[in-house]
Amino acid sequence: MGFLDAIFGSKGRLKGPAEDRLFAMSTAWVTLDTSLGLTHKGKAGIVFQPLATADFQSILDETEELLAGTAAETGSKVTNKEDEFGYRWLVLEDSDFEDLVVALNTVSVQLQGGGYGDRLLAAVFAFEEKGKPVYFIYNFKRGAFYPFVPAPGEQARDNERELRIKAQLGAELPFEEDIGRWFPLWDVPL
Amino acid sequence: MLLTLFLLGLLYVVFIGVLIAAGAGVVTIVVVMGALSAAQLFFSDKLALSAMGAKQVSPEEAPGLHAMIERLCIQADLPKPKIAVADTSMPNAFALGRSQKSATVCATTGIMSVLSPSELEGVMAHELAHVKHRDVLIMTIASFFASLAAIMLQFGFFFGGDDDENPSILVVLLVSALVYVLSFFLMMALSRYREFAADRGAAIVTGRPSALSAALVKISGAMQTVPQHDLREAERLNAFFIVPASVKGSIKTIFSTHPPMEKRIERLQQLESSLQRGAIAA
Repeated sequence: MGFLDAIFGSKGRLKGPAEDRLFAMSTAWVTLDTSLGLTHKGKAGIVFQPLATADFQSILDETEELLAGTAAETGSKVTNKEDEFGYRWLVLEDSDFEDLVVALNTVSVQLQGGGYGDRLLAAVFAFEEKGKPVYFIYNFKRGAFYPFVPAPGEQARDNERELRIKAQLGAELPFEEDIGRWFPLWDVPL
Repeated sequence: MLLTLFLLGLLYVVFIGVLIAAGAGVVTIVVVMGALSAAQLFFSDKLALSAMGAKQVSPEEAPGLHAMIERLCIQADLPKPKIAVADTSMPNAFALGRSQKSATVCATTGIMSVLSPSELEGVMAHELAHVKHRDVLIMTIASFFASLAAIMLQFGFFFGGDDDENPSILVVLLVSALVYVLSFFLMMALSRYREFAADRGAAIVTGRPSALSAALVKISGAMQTVPQHDLREAERLNAFFIVPASVKGSIKTIFSTHPPMEKRIERLQQLESSLQRGAIAA
């Protein structure tokens, strides 16, 4: 943010997505599985702000059609959910992890192509460690991943485990370096 | 807006020039005022929070508010501010803090009970836009000069009058009075402009300008029923409120820190229609 922006306020536009690093997950999951004992649950989701405009709705419809088309080929399942904050989730289920990454990328490319890339909030991949959920959240605006491990109890998270995952995984995944931006997503529908 | 800023800058340049011509004691005063202003920048947020009876809340205490603000922070690409809640029925919200990292946003229990989730989201996005635009810092700098002028005015009254007939004291008095009046109006204009900017920022971050309009309508309706006593308590914080806590009448547009409600809603409606045309997202 430059000096003039500081004086005059925003440029009237949201920050768009950073350089796309979503595909880093399509190789990193192997390490997660073999070295860290984190198995994927065959589920991933993408969450965005739906705009109440005809143009946005038509791009969303188009995207869902496209997803349904590839889902029929790969045998994955797509569900559409709205959460309590008014954000829209597209949840994908597929035992083949790479198909999940490709499908999430389809959504992000579609929305960006329609000029709505700035509405993307996050992509979330669901993993499991001894029956306990571990999520990897991808922040589109920052082009970075971070782990999110919910702990037992209301709105509690296991920061220790999250930090250890980052240390263990190292350079395999582009991590969000600022821990202050490791925003949780409670009640992930995955 | 550029003109306002230009005039503001010009005024201070002229003013400082006159001060320097008036005498050496002035330098000391400027230094002291600078220190006071810096102190204001560093400590005013804590003072303001305690003046409002606001308490910082943890994610466990206010899970919904935290989750809502976290999502807005991702969208606005901001670090998460501290979150506070003030226990008062007056529906309002404000942002404090000199930088994005040290910012605090506060909502009253009144606003959280009056507004629907999407309306509250619009209001919190408005406050986060103030944080993003560094409005506290900018308004503090702007008010530094205004208060400097006010202090000089008092200084002149107390010490200048009866000692001698030094004409430079008179000049200082006149100029500082003039600067004070003018900078006051310019500051109000600056504040009103920044309110529009924050409304716009909020509408863009949430993608729902109409939700913020609805929130403004609701809050302004509720504001008029609030007893005078609460309002006076809140007066000092007005510049950073979403709706100012005053019910003094309507012929005060240029004295006001906030633009009139109708104007704000009108602009939000323009945003909504350009959003519908796809003009913002493109």
